[in-house]
Amino acid sequence: MPPAKLDAEAMARRAAGFIAPGDVVAVDTGLPSLIPGVTPPELGAWFLRNDGMLNNLPLSLADAAAITRGGYVNLAIVNAAQVDAAGSFAGTVSAANPDRQPPANSVDLAAGSGRVIAMLSHTDDQGRPNIVEALSSPADGLRCVNAIITDIAVIEVNGGGLALSEVAPGWSVDDVRAQTDADLSIPPALREMDFSLPANAPPSKVYPDGPSAIADVPDGATVFIDGFGGPGGMAHYLLISLRDRGSRDLTIVSNTAGIARVVSFGTPPGRTAIDHSVLIENGQVAKAIASFPVSPSVSRPSEFELAYRRGEVDLELVPQGTLAERLRAGGAGIHAFYTPTGAGTLIAEGKESRNIDGRDYILEYGLRADFAIIRAHKADTNGNLVYRGTSRNFNAVMAPAARVTVVEVDEIVEAVQLDLEEVVTPGVFVQRIVKRPDGFTGYE
Amino acid sequence: MTFSKLYDTPATAVADIHDGATLLIGGTTRSGEPTALLAALLTIGVRDLTCICDFADWDGSEGILQLAQAERIARVISPFPFVGENGGVIHKQWRDGALAVEVIPQGTLAERLRAAGAGIGGVFTPVGLGTRLADGKETRTINGVECVLESPLRADFALIRADRADALGNLAYRGAQRGWNAVMAPAARITIAEVDTVGEPGAIDPELVITPGIYVNRVVYTPPTGDRG
Amino acid sequence: MTADKERLDRAIIAMRVARELPPGATVNLGIGIPTLVSMFVADDSIVFYHSESGVLNCGPLAEDGNEDIDLINAGGQFLEPVPGMAYFSSVDAFAMIRGGHVDVTILGAHQVSATGDLANWMLPDRGVGNIGGAMDLAAGAEKVIVAMEHNDRNGNPKVVQECSFPLTGKGCVSLVVTDVAVMEPTPDGMALREVAPGWSPDDVQSVTGARLIIPDTVAEYEV
Repeated sequence: MPPAKLDAEAMARRAAGFIAPGDVVAVDTGLPSLIPGVTPPELGAWFLRNDGMLNNLPLSLADAAAITRGGYVNLAIVNAAQVDAAGSFAGTVSAANPDRQPPANSVDLAAGSGRVIAMLSHTDDQGRPNIVEALSSPADGLRCVNAIITDIAVIEVNGGGLALSEVAPGWSVDDVRAQTDADLSIPPALREMDFSLPANAPPSKVYPDGPSAIADVPDGATVFIDGFGGPGGMAHYLLISLRDRGSRDLTIVSNTAGIARVVSFGTPPGRTAIDHSVLIENGQVAKAIASFPVSPSVSRPSEFELAYRRGEVDLELVPQGTLAERLRAGGAGIHAFYTPTGAGTLIAEGKESRNIDGRDYILEYGLRADFAIIRAHKADTNGNLVYRGTSRNFNAVMAPAARVTVVEVDEIVEAVQLDLEEVVTPGVFVQRIVKRPDGFTGYE
Repeated sequence: MTFSKLYDTPATAVADIHDGATLLIGGTTRSGEPTALLAALLTIGVRDLTCICDFADWDGSEGILQLAQAERIARVISPFPFVGENGGVIHKQWRDGALAVEVIPQGTLAERLRAAGAGIGGVFTPVGLGTRLADGKETRTINGVECVLESPLRADFALIRADRADALGNLAYRGAQRGWNAVMAPAARITIAEVDTVGEPGAIDPELVITPGIYVNRVVYTPPTGDRG
Repeated sequence: MTADKERLDRAIIAMRVARELPPGATVNLGIGIPTLVSMFVADDSIVFYHSESGVLNCGPLAEDGNEDIDLINAGGQFLEPVPGMAYFSSVDAFAMIRGGHVDVTILGAHQVSATGDLANWMLPDRGVGNIGGAMDLAAGAEKVIVAMEHNDRNGNPKVVQECSFPLTGKGCVSLVVTDVAVMEPTPDGMALREVAPGWSPDDVQSVTGARLIIPDTVAEYEV
C-alpha cells in the first residue's frame, strides 16, 4: 500500500524548486497559483498572474500577454488535466465533463514560454491515470511540456518520452508506474523529491558607469536609441559611452538619425547637443532605421544626411507609427501585422498588400535588437522605470524589444520606493541600469 | 461652454444600448467589474447581447450572471466561459442550445481587442497553433515560427470600471482593475466608465493616467458600496 | 495676371481652418500653418489636442523661460503644462491615430491631388525626406484637412491633378484651405468651395494645377 500523496502545498514547494533567481514565472490558476506563496522572496522571482498582476505591479492584459508571447517568461506553470508522452497537455477537460471547454490562458502560456511545467494530480477522482500515452481530449498545448509535477512524482519530458526523475517520499517506481498510463524510463539519477528551496538573490542590475554597461556591444550589432527629436528622453551619457567603446557597423533604430545638433530645441548658446551624430561622425554607423532621419531644414544638413549623401550609410525609412508598432510587435511576440499606414505609397513597395473589410493594409514585421539604449527618469533596483512627460515616447516601446536593455536614469531608488501604479516599464524588460553622472548635460 | 463626459446615472449612460449589441465587459474575477452599469443594463431589458469578457460563468461575476439568468445573452466570447466543476447558468444555457460560446486564448483576446483599438488589420501570433482554438484560421511561417492570423475584435459598447476619472474622461485604476478595463476602453465605439471618484481636469497626475480620455465617451460616478474590489 | 492679387496671410488660413473643428473634437496639428490653428479656436468651442510626442489635452506653446525638455509637441516645440493632460508612449500615440480616435488632423502639404491624394514628406530634389507621423495621420485620422499656401515659392501650383511627388496617403484629404481658396477633393475631382476676397473662380483656376469643379455659386472665404 503506497503512502499518502503530496498535498497541494508540497507540490507547490517542489515546483518552486524549479525557479532560478530573477526568473519570470507565469502561474496558471489552480495548483500553480499556490507557488508564489511558498517561494522565498529573496529569489527575486517575477510572478505573472492571469489577472495581469506582475508581483504587485498592475498591467493591462495586453501587456501581460505580451510578456508571455514575447519570450520573457522563463518558466510557465500550467494547471493540466492530462499530459501525454509527447509533452502535450489538455486543460480541465476530463472524462467526467467531456463537453466543457478549457480555460484558455494555458494556451498562451504554452506558446511563448522558455520552460513549461504541468502540475496535476497523478490520477483523476476515479483513480484513472492522468499521465497517458495519448490525450483523450484535444490538446491545449502541443509538445510543449518540459516537466510534470504530480502528487507522487516529477517526470521529465524529452524527445524520447517520459523519464521518471523523482518520486514522492515513500513511493516506489512500481507504485508510480501502476498509476501511470504511459511508458516511464527510469534514469540512474532517480531520487526522492527534495522540498528545500534556494534563496539566492539575482545579480544586481545596477552598473557602476556607462562604459561597463555597454562594454559588450559588438561590431555589427543592432541598437535601439531613443530620443524623439530633442534632448528629452535621450540617453546622452550612454551615447558617449558607446562612442568611446567604438563598436562599428552598427544598425541604429531610432525616430530620428540625429537632428538635435542641427535643430535648436533649446540648446544653450555656444553648446552642441549630443545626439546620434556622435556615432555617425565616428564612423560607427552602417545603417539607420528611422522615421525622421534628416534635418527639417535642407540648408542645415545633419551628420547622418551628409554621410548618406557620401554613400557611407544606408537608410530604411519607416513611418513613425509603424516604427512604434514594429517595435511593440518585436517585444510582444507578434511576428507580423497588417497596418493601413503607407498603403498606396512608396512605403508599400515590395510588401504584401491586402484589402481587409474594404480597407487597404500592408504587412509589416516585428523588429528586435541586440541592445536598447534608453533613458528614463527613475529606476528602482528591480529595473522598474518611470519617465517624465513626453520623454516616455519610444523609450517605453523599445525596452521590451531588445535582448539587452540598458537604461540611463536620473535617479536609482530601492525596490519599494516607486509607486507601482506609476511604473511604465516593468523591470522584466530592463537588464542594466546606469545613473547619469551628476552634472552631466546633453551638450558638449 | 464647459465640456464634460459626466452622466448623472448608470441608467442614462447605458440608455442607448440596443438589442443585439456587442459589449465588452471589463474586470477579472471580482476586481474591476462594472457592476452598476450591468445592473442598469438589466433594468432596460435589452436582449440578444454578445458579451465579451474574461470570466463569464463565475459566482463573482454577478452582473453577467444576472444578465444570463434573465436570458439576455445570445453569445459569450471569453477565455473562461465555464468555470467551476459543475458549470453555472451559462454552461447550462450553452448545453441547451440557448446561447453560443466562443473560447479565445486570454492573450489572444487581449491582442485582438488591442488591434481593434489601434487600427491594426490583423496580427500573426504563435499562440494556439495546433490546438482547436486555431481551427480554420490562416497560418503562415514567419522567421521559422508558424503563426496564426488573428483579426481585430471590436464592439459597439465597452462597459468598464476605473478607480477615478476627471471630467475629460482620463482614467486611473487600482491594482488588477487595470487588467481588462484598460484593454477594452479603446476597442469599442462607445466606452462607458463607472468610477469611484471624479475630479476636475488635473485631478489625475498626467503620468498616472492609464486610459487617456480620448478612449472614454461617458463617465458615471458610482460611489463605492461594500465589497466591490 | 491673377497671381499678383493679394493673398491671405497664414493666420487667416489658420482662422478659416479653425472653423472646421467641431466642439469636443480631438485634433492633431502638423507643423507650420497647422500649429497656428489652435490660436483661433473660439473660446466657447472646446477641442482637445493630441500630439504624437505622447501627450493628450496639451496646451499652448510654453512662455519664454518656462521651457521643459520633457514636455514637447511633435515639432519639438515646448508646451505649457495644463490641467487634464495625459502622457503615453509612441506606440499608444499612434494606436490613437491609426485606431480612428483622432477626429481631425491638419497637415501641411507639398501637393494635393484632385481626388485627395497627399504628398508632404519628400521633395524629390533632396533625395531623402522625413515621414515622421504624417503617413499614420493620413491613414488613421477620421478627417484630414490640408492648410497650405496655394503655390510654392517658385509659383508652382500645389493643388494638382495628379501628385508627382511621393505620396503620403491616397485619397485621404477631405478639405484643402489655402491663401486663395477652400477646396474639397471628390472622386470626380477638386471642387471649389470658397474664394479669397477679390479672387474669382477663374483667378483661382489660373494658379491651380487641377481642373476645378466650379459650382454655380462660390462663397467668399468666411472667417
